[in-house]
Parts: sequence; structure tokens; C-alpha cells
Amino acid sequence: MKYRYILFILFVNILLGYNLKSYSQSGQELVDICNIIADEATYLKDFQVKLDAAKPGEEKPTSRFSVLLSKNTIYRFSICNSKDYPGKAIVQLYDNNRLLGSNYVVASGKNYPTFDFQCQTTGVYHIFIDFKEGEQGLAVALLSFVKKF
Amino acid sequence: MIKRLIYIFILALILTSCKNCTNNKNADQDFETEFNLPDSGEIYDGDLEISESAINEIVQNISSPVEMAALIKSLGVPYSKEYLASTDYVDNYDTNYKKALGLGIFGADLGYLNMYNKTGSVIDYISAIKKLADGIRVGQFFDFTTLKRLATNNQNLDSLMYISVQNFNQMDRYLRETKRSNLSSLIVAGVWIESMYLVGEVSKKSPSSELTEKIGEQKIILSNLMILLKNYEKVPEFKGLIDDLNDIQDMYKKVIITYEKGEPEAIEEDGMLVIKQNDKQFIEISDDIKTKIIIKISDVRNKIIQL
Repeated sequence: MKYRYILFILFVNILLGYNLKSYSQSGQELVDICNIIADEATYLKDFQVKLDAAKPGEEKPTSRFSVLLSKNTIYRFSICNSKDYPGKAIVQLYDNNRLLGSNYVVASGKNYPTFDFQCQTTGVYHIFIDFKEGEQGLAVALLSFVKKF
Repeated sequence: MIKRLIYIFILALILTSCKNCTNNKNADQDFETEFNLPDSGEIYDGDLEISESAINEIVQNISSPVEMAALIKSLGVPYSKEYLASTDYVDNYDTNYKKALGLGIFGADLGYLNMYNKTGSVIDYISAIKKLADGIRVGQFFDFTTLKRLATNNQNLDSLMYISVQNFNQMDRYLRETKRSNLSSLIVAGVWIESMYLVGEVSKKSPSSELTEKIGEQKIILSNLMILLKNYEKVPEFKGLIDDLNDIQDMYKKVIITYEKGEPEAIEEDGMLVIKQNDKQFIEISDDIKTKIIIKISDVRNKIIQL
């Protein structure tokens, strides 16, 4: 009986390990999912972020990217979080010195999977990505082109 | 019963180990691909004025060929093959310098073709790109088979655009990761030069205020590109290109860009979050300067493709 039990546990462990390995999400898979979420918009770039959990008493780990955006253009930012980590990504868009917007609206506490940015000046913009409450996470922020206006 | 369980266990073990065999094989291939380092001559080991991370940042700050092509199409300008660089002489791109510049040029043309859904001509361009990409050992990131299938069957054109843009991003990322930012910078320069050439040629035939403004705002992008290229000004092959682009940068000194700040706002439209910038940007460029820039860009571009 004891052998049977051990063999059964081993068997389940092997299969479970096999399946978990098969379903862990890669950055590329997240990019593909994000591109679907971006809908009709045309893919331009992706920013992949993997951050550890914030240590007690320390600031949340953050990644920064910069990108050139053009005047009179609508861009779409789509955010996809890996199901293998608890963190939900917060994407913030800055110009040289000001926060322009984010997928997380503090006032309503709402987290949006995408947001559109109506760009009115050609220049360099900065994208900051961290995870809500400093949790560990893997996410992709995908930048796509919607249209000229 | 125990025997049966042992058989199941052994079977599961064999299945799992076979799966691992495949994984290991793939892992080995990935390892080989990942660490298939270029010849030492390809790696730029000279002094860099700016750090690799700064280079990475600047590379992200050169506009995409997709946007240039989208602007041209949005103005209702008809497609013309005349604007594109010929792929007939791809074999003449026989040094890494020429291959990287050519990759950028054909990449911009591919963006233009994709925007107009000209799948018939796409195959020539993806073939040329594959050849040049293999030449600088980044061909493994260019999914030629899938792109050719999509173009041949004239199907899923969105995927054609998605895969080709992503492949270019991957090639660029890999070049920078393997300390070949010199080649990455040349690809970026090639994309910019060809995109500017397309906008300039379209502007000559179908002038519009949008195209004039697009040419004017390139003052910002060119200044980024020059920071990138000047890193390699001691390399003889780069010198001619830098001198040519310096001339264009001098012309841009007469282009004036001013700003008026507004308050950004976030609103929800049909459940979607929209951020409006509310700034204003004014670009002043005279017809004379615009014409000079177009002519010079055309000279630089034709010098590159007439190998």
C-alpha cells in the first residue's frame, strides 16, 4: 500500500511538473497576446519587464525606457501581465518632466489593459513600468500605431 | 496492481525524458544560436563617446518606417514602385557596413510596401533582407519562411506587418546585445535615410503641409541619429556618411521649432482610457530649406544604393 502511494505521488509530480513547464509564459507569448489586445493598431515596439518584489522599506523596482513619438499621432499602449507572477504592471508615460498619464488611474483605482495617447509634439517620451504594491512580476507593454489625426 | 503502477510510472518517465530530450536539443540549438558570436572584426571595440545603455536609448528614439509610410498613405498619395530601392543589386552589398545600411533601406521600403498591401513586391524585399541579415549573422531572427508564405498567399496582412517589424526589432536588439551597436546604428541610419527619401519624393510630387512639417520635425530625430553615428567617426567607412548627414544637420539649423505647453488630461471614451497631451508644437521651415534637404537626402540615399 505504501509503495502504491509513493508511486502514485511520483507519477502525479512528474506529470504536474511536465505540465507546469509547458504552460509557463514567455515574454514573446506576452507580446503576441498584447498585439491581439492592441486590436487594429499596428505594432511598433515592445518593452518587456521582469522585476523582483520590492524589499521591505525600499522603493518599488522600476524599469525605464524612452521612445520617440510623433506629432498628430494616436498611439496605443497595451499591457499584458504574466499569469505566472502576482504583479500587475503600472505603465506611466512622461514627457521631459511631467507625468502625462498611466494605465492605472489612482482616483478610481481602475487598471486599464490599454490606453491611447494623442501625441501633439514630436519628441522623446519616457515610459516607467513597475508592479502594483511592489509585487514580483513579468509584463509586456506594447506600443502600437493607431492613426494620424 | 503494483506491477501495473510500475509500468505506468516507467511509461511516464520515458515520455517525460523524451520531452526533455527534445527540450535539451532545442536548448542546445538556442545556446548555439545565442552564442554564435560574430567574428571579432565585426565587434566594435573602439572607444565609445557614449555608453551602450545610452546607445540603446537613442536607438529607440528614431522614428519607425511604419509611421512615415502611414502618413504618406493617410494623405491619399497613390503607391509608386519608383520610390523604392532596387533589390537587383543586393549582391553588391558586400561589406558589413553596406549590408547594415542596405538592411535599413530595404526595411523602410518593406514598411512602405506593407502599408500599401503590395504583397507581390514584398517577396523581393524579404529575400533581399534575409540575404543581408544572414550576411551580418542576424538572419536567424528574420522569419523568412512565414513572411514568404503570408505574402505569397496574400493572407493575414496584419501578421505580415507584425512579424516583419518585430523581426527588425529582434535583429536590432541582438546586435546591441552582442556589442555590434555599430551595425545596429547603420540599420537605424538606413531606415531613417530611406524614410526621409520617401517623404521627400512624395512631397515633390504631392506637396502638403503635413509632409513639410514631417520633414521639419526630423531636426529632432537627426540630432539623435548624429549622436549615435558620431560614436564611430574614427571608422573610415562611417566618415563619409557622417559628413553627409552633418551637411543636412547644418541645413536644419534654419528650421525653428517652438512649443506651447498645455495641461494633459485623461478621459474615458467608450470604456477606453484616452490621454490627451494638449501641448502645441510649431515647426517653421522655408520652402528653400525644405528643397535643399530633399535634394541632399536624395544624394546621400542614391550614393548608398548605387554600389
